[in-house]
Amino acid sequence: MQKLINGFVWGVAGIFVVAATFALGQQMIKQFTLQSLAANDISIEQALLVAQGAIDACKKDNSIISVAVVDHDGDVRFLVRGDGASAQDADDARKKAYTARTFRSPTSVWLEHTAMDAVENGKRVDLYGQRFLENTIAKKGGMPIIWHADAIGGVGVTGSKGGEEADEACAKAGVEAIADQLL
Amino acid sequence: MSRISSMLTAAAACAVLMAATQSAQAQSSSLTSEQAMAAARAVQAYAKNDGSNPSLAVIDRDGNTVVLLKGNGAAPHNLGLAQRKAFTANMFKMKSIEWRDRTMPGKPEASERDTPNAIPLGGGVPIMVGNEVVGAIGVSGTRGGQEGDTAGAQAGADAAAALVKRLQASN
Repeated sequence: MQKLINGFVWGVAGIFVVAATFALGQQMIKQFTLQSLAANDISIEQALLVAQGAIDACKKDNSIISVAVVDHDGDVRFLVRGDGASAQDADDARKKAYTARTFRSPTSVWLEHTAMDAVENGKRVDLYGQRFLENTIAKKGGMPIIWHADAIGGVGVTGSKGGEEADEACAKAGVEAIADQLL
Repeated sequence: MSRISSMLTAAAACAVLMAATQSAQAQSSSLTSEQAMAAARAVQAYAKNDGSNPSLAVIDRDGNTVVLLKGNGAAPHNLGLAQRKAFTANMFKMKSIEWRDRTMPGKPEASERDTPNAIPLGGGVPIMVGNEVVGAIGVSGTRGGQEGDTAGAQAGADAAAALVKRLQASN
């Protein structure tokens, strides 16, 4: 009887140790995944998750999109050209991602902000010149990836059937795919 | 009599020629790295009050880069934008914010916006010594938007111009 109890106690302890080791391992993998976050940048896993999230969201109406994910420096981390899309379409996706990253806002918001007749706090702001910058694009469909008030990347989408508004919705869904990692 | 007058004419021509040579030399004087560094430091002093980390570019009158400085945590477009603001101020010999307003669509000067590399955004200021433009500075990334960038660039331009004037006075 005593032997049985001893065996039971050791068994429980063993299970506990195995579970704890597993949990620790999981935590370490997560830490590793988030490693680039500590350096204010997105990781390759995150870039893939964001792109997949956007592609999945756009699948609902059978759109085959091009997606680009750029990092903190505005450089491409991931780019996929949709079936039948041109190289120009793919590059436009990159430009949307870059524009959202560098101006830290959805390209739709940036468009309003840089309009010829944009007004802010009752005062005219002439930021139209920002549209002259290289690598920017005056189209909706780019979303920034915001972490601690800084844009650590951006995602851009082109080619969805619903036009630029749908591009933006898909890009937004992409960012939301890693929302739990951006807290 | 005619000999004296011809001598006088020759002397006058000589004087004119010498003056022309001198002014040509003054014109070719370029912004030194010390002057450009002083401009950069003045912008950084402005930014410290402002609580921002702007990027900046200082170019000489020929458009050559003398100082380039990327601010901490700058967005990807900031440094390139600072360069284009400096280019614009140097090219059109006025603040880029003034040039922006001058070249608004519909105005006669609007086609100036087709100039490659020029950008209609505030933050570029020419470095003036008297009526002469000896270079320009462009700033991007202060807190105050285009007005703030212009104020920061002006502080830099003033610092550089003060050094140029001091050098000219000592010569």
